[in-house]
Amino acid sequence: MSATEIIFWILSVLALVSGLMVIFSKNPVYSVLWLISLFFAISGHYILMNAQFLAIVNIIVYAGAIMVLFLFVIMLMNLSATAEPKKKVWMKFTGVISGGLLLWILLSVVRSSIDMRGKIAEVKTGDIGLVENLGKVLFTEYAVPFEICSVLFLSAMVGAVVIGKKEE
Amino acid sequence: MTLLTIDWSLIIEKLVLIAVVVLGSLVVALYSTYAERKVAAFMQDRLGPNRAGPFGLLQPLADGAKFFFKEDVIPVLANKWLFILGPTIAMSAALMTSAVVPWGNHIEIGGRIISLQIADINIGVLYVFGVVGMGVYGIMIGGWASNNKFSLLAALRGASQVISYELPMGICMITLIMLSGSLSLKDKVEQQMSSGHLWNIVYQPLGFVIFLICAFAECNRTPFDLAEAENELNMGYHQEYSSMKLGFYLFAEYINMLISSAVIVTLFFGGYDIPFLDESKLNPNTAAILGIIALMAKVVFFIFLFMWVRWTIPRFRYDQLMNLGWKKLLPLALINMLVTAAVILWLHK
Amino acid sequence: MNAIILSAVLGVVMMFSSVLVSNQKAYKGIALVGLLIILIANINETYNGPIFEINTYNMLAFDGFSLFFNTIAIVCTGVYFILTSKQIEKVGGHTAEYFTLIFFVLCGATILSAYNNLLMLFIGIEILTIPLYILTGSKKKDLKSNEAALKYFLMGSFSTGLMLMGIALIYGGTGTFALEKIIPAAASAQGAPAVTAQTLSFLEVGGMLLVTFSLAFKVSAAPFHFWLPDVYYGAPSVFTSFMASVVKAAAFVAFLKLFIARAAGTSVDVSKIIGVDWKMIVAILIICTLLVGNISAVRQQNVKRMLAYSSIAQAGFMLFAIFSLNEMAKEGILLYAVAYSLATIGIFAILSRMKDYTFAGYNGLAKSNPALAFANTVFLLSLAGIPLTAGFFAKYYMLASVMQTGHYMWLVIVGVLFAAVSADYYFRVIQSMYFKNSESENEGQLEENPSNIFKITVVALAIVIILVGVFPNSVLYWLYN
Repeated sequence: MSATEIIFWILSVLALVSGLMVIFSKNPVYSVLWLISLFFAISGHYILMNAQFLAIVNIIVYAGAIMVLFLFVIMLMNLSATAEPKKKVWMKFTGVISGGLLLWILLSVVRSSIDMRGKIAEVKTGDIGLVENLGKVLFTEYAVPFEICSVLFLSAMVGAVVIGKKEE
Repeated sequence: MTLLTIDWSLIIEKLVLIAVVVLGSLVVALYSTYAERKVAAFMQDRLGPNRAGPFGLLQPLADGAKFFFKEDVIPVLANKWLFILGPTIAMSAALMTSAVVPWGNHIEIGGRIISLQIADINIGVLYVFGVVGMGVYGIMIGGWASNNKFSLLAALRGASQVISYELPMGICMITLIMLSGSLSLKDKVEQQMSSGHLWNIVYQPLGFVIFLICAFAECNRTPFDLAEAENELNMGYHQEYSSMKLGFYLFAEYINMLISSAVIVTLFFGGYDIPFLDESKLNPNTAAILGIIALMAKVVFFIFLFMWVRWTIPRFRYDQLMNLGWKKLLPLALINMLVTAAVILWLHK
Repeated sequence: MNAIILSAVLGVVMMFSSVLVSNQKAYKGIALVGLLIILIANINETYNGPIFEINTYNMLAFDGFSLFFNTIAIVCTGVYFILTSKQIEKVGGHTAEYFTLIFFVLCGATILSAYNNLLMLFIGIEILTIPLYILTGSKKKDLKSNEAALKYFLMGSFSTGLMLMGIALIYGGTGTFALEKIIPAAASAQGAPAVTAQTLSFLEVGGMLLVTFSLAFKVSAAPFHFWLPDVYYGAPSVFTSFMASVVKAAAFVAFLKLFIARAAGTSVDVSKIIGVDWKMIVAILIICTLLVGNISAVRQQNVKRMLAYSSIAQAGFMLFAIFSLNEMAKEGILLYAVAYSLATIGIFAILSRMKDYTFAGYNGLAKSNPALAFANTVFLLSLAGIPLTAGFFAKYYMLASVMQTGHYMWLVIVGVLFAAVSADYYFRVIQSMYFKNSESENEGQLEENPSNIFKITVVALAIVIILVGVFPNSVLYWLYN
């Protein structure tokens, strides 16, 4: 086992545990904090794949900005474990069934695959995640989607104003 | 089985460097508290601390010792783990930024070149951003875990302030990145040192002003210390804290001040560059030591500026703060960026 | 390309006009003129090529099909503006912004008709839906509208998440976003033999499944339909109309394009090797959708809610195109887009002027407003698929395309049976209008007396639907020219 592999396994375990804790935490504030830890684990994976730029942008945008806003709202609402409405048993039951069905389908797809056996993640390869290469690709090959995304953001901004502004 | 093949001397070298930087920033932070009180006294025509040791020089040590011996209270209804996590995050986020700041050029010991920067990563500028963003969690978690409405309100104020002022700061950084074409802080310093280039302050005076204002806001220093507005919120987000946990929060603020000053100096004032002197003609070790001294001199000036402003400008009101951030600094920074981009494009043609 | 760029630009123009133009009535004029420009530009592109030469690296492909769908979408939006702009002004204080958002939705629809790359599919779906979340919640004081917006947003985000996950898996399995290459590269490379289980990576199959689920959600196919009744019912009626017409058609076009591209590379046999029978998955979706939509619609007492469920039922019919995946299906989906969109816009234009949205609210409309009642009848008949209306040929093409694939006669029979069921609830509205008397004789059924222009446009729309029903080739003629 090389050092990279050890780090890979540590990060993977951290990511999975954090992901599960996001769901199982009773207190929403804990869920948010676990989610942040999940983002850190994923950023670690990015670094292993030699994509430092993506790693740090992931942290700045998701952990640094979006999750702060999440935390903001949750703290202001003062949700706690006791405030959570009790769900009906049959609702939980249907939830488990539909989630289980999706899991079943995905598992059966994984099981039927032959080409993925014995393969593990590739690390320390590729340099597409470095800021220079990413910038070049973004402004040549992916220029059209990049520009069209601005329509998406503009519509979200207009929407935020429409929803947020006081009606006269 | 060969478990790990690692360049052990590199590890040792980096560990020593980390220890020196961390201890150094702690000492600087410690004496910043002393300086703050002396500067305050000077501004108000008083003497300031002068009992412990000559000129009161031992005062910070006495303060530190006092923090350690105070009773450590965790409120009954506070969330114990998060209550401890808050100051921990605040402190470690403050210290982590120093990893990418180039404290000096390299030194040579026995033919081995040792860079005086813990990590010269190719995303240095963004790393600073990411870590500053993490600092918010220290405030928010601490404020929330205290289970006190004043703490919570102060924490939310602090967080929204930091997020708002990160934007113009980031745009100023983009302008600088356009100038140097690199995200690495070391590259930025070297570009400013190279012949034919002046310090970035000459090219980016407006950017510097915006950056400085944002740095004040990011450090929660007056005039942006709304999170600690004692007359509105008792004491702020660390109201329930006592003993060394409180010490951590206060310390983190001073370390942030130091690091912000170092980043400002690196970005705008040539870092470890000594003006009107060609360092490459000197012995590298001498040049490195002179460089560190130059850097520290500039940093000390900016720390003084932080304290100076504290006793000059009164605190903003919350709506004024938001107005300044979103309606003035952000558009200004954007215009600055666009103009710079246009000029760069024009010059390259 | 013209339509994409111009509709985005028009959105920005509308946005600024809210600052510069203070007259509320002027927005409609600006929007209509803008739509006319887009329409002309799009038709011009159909014959002469785009104005702007942009290298999209094959991410967008503008063929006759996509350009013709754009024309349909633009015309339908135009009809929608003419009929309901008055109601849009009534929703809230941000009239110009609502127009802006509708233009952005149109931009999303034009992207979806032309995408050739999974990345563009994702962006297109997002541009299509994000403005809709806002339009749904635009009645800020109305709790139902708020609830609908929140439900739509949460469920929509979740399904978008599924789609992203699917796209990521497909990318992991094949190393590309391009539609024509999402079939394993091994098949085409080095003249390798046909695709086998070994080369069809599980990442690709799993990804395709997730994208399918997500798109099924967007077109409200059962069992992914739970959001739809509440959202359609809670949203302001004017915007429900747009959601149920142009938006839905665009989502179906996206769905169809994805599956046609996929089917072109992978035969049914290959899918069977690895145990995934795509046809069967779609067939199950169709039957669930038809069953849920029709049975629920029969039980509704509220016309708006009934239309929401009937929209699910109509989705079931449009899914036939995704089942059969042939040329006829493509023609059928275009015809369906025309017939269904126009009829829905017409029905909602009348509905949004009603005082009472229940069936009883329509009582005696034929007496007080014979013109509107006639037009409404034509729209409802078209939705039910009665001969001599556009809806009949739309349904006919769908069923015929299934017949062409052979061996699936049972599915056609199921479709016909459910079409018969659907007549029940559409005819109940007609029954209310013509054969029942209003309890309050003096007051009309409408909020205010409609202007003559509105009446004339609605009747003209009804006549267009009949004309298309008599000469369906007049629509398809344009596709091949």
